[in-house]
Amino acid sequence: MKESYRQSDELYLVKASLEGDKMAFGEIVNRYRKLVARTVKGMLGDSVYAEDIGQEVFIKLYHSLSEFRGEAKLSTYIQKIAINLTLNEIKRRKRFFSMFSQKGNEEMHEIEIPCYDNEEKRDAKELVNKALQGLDPKFRIIVAMRMLQGYSTKETAEILELPLGTVLSRLSRAQEQLKVILGKL
Amino acid sequence: MNDMKRSEIKNLIISSMESDATPEDIARHLEEEGVSFDFGNGFTDRIIDKISAPILKIKREGEFIRNLNFAFNRIALTGVAAIVLLIISILLMEGSFSFNSFLGLGDSYDESMVFLLTGN
Repeated sequence: MKESYRQSDELYLVKASLEGDKMAFGEIVNRYRKLVARTVKGMLGDSVYAEDIGQEVFIKLYHSLSEFRGEAKLSTYIQKIAINLTLNEIKRRKRFFSMFSQKGNEEMHEIEIPCYDNEEKRDAKELVNKALQGLDPKFRIIVAMRMLQGYSTKETAEILELPLGTVLSRLSRAQEQLKVILGKL
Repeated sequence: MNDMKRSEIKNLIISSMESDATPEDIARHLEEEGVSFDFGNGFTDRIIDKISAPILKIKREGEFIRNLNFAFNRIALTGVAAIVLLIISILLMEGSFSFNSFLGLGDSYDESMVFLLTGN
């Protein structure tokens, strides 16, 4: 990776990527891969499919870079792509599993917990993962954005293009669900 | 993880849903506790490989179309020359150029057909 790209602003990187500079796009991927991972893995669980969706997010971003006007932050633009693709995947898997199993939604969460050198860190992540996967998908996205990404209620509403009141009521209902789920864990 | 730590994280998760919570701090705190997400090694390289692949495909498609155009030009020129020769030969043999003469059908068409069909 070119050293100069590490200091470059996102509009410069977008412009360079549009001109076919793969290294510039690589820098965009490096900058935002954690953001995408938090959304995708927060929603789908730490499964092997999450990585495929993560790749799809950046490939879609690459092909739609010309539509990015720079009016919003690049992170918001990427976040929207990540949310849409993840929700599509959840719908697809729900349909697929419902064809073969009555359990449907339960079977789609194949949580793979990666190896950690620290037992405590693994447990903390496992706890968060299980709490998230137990939630209804429409609450899960709001919880993941707030808890893992640190977005405020207003930012969450803007990114999800939902009224602020809807986000607030979903947060309250998600909290009720979380209390039940975490009580069992 | 001990029970105290566990209940502390549970409280953190639940409190992050409060409308007056500071989600940024909670997210940072959770990350410090090990709740961080990332993709595997070589993730960026795999994406770069994938976005480079269609360009090669497009280049190959462009090359194919160029070759096809080149081949078509040659075939088209030969075809036009053959048609011109055919028209000249029809004019020389029949003395005129009509649809029947173009199809190779002369005045003895009916008789020929009867001969062909009956053998008499």
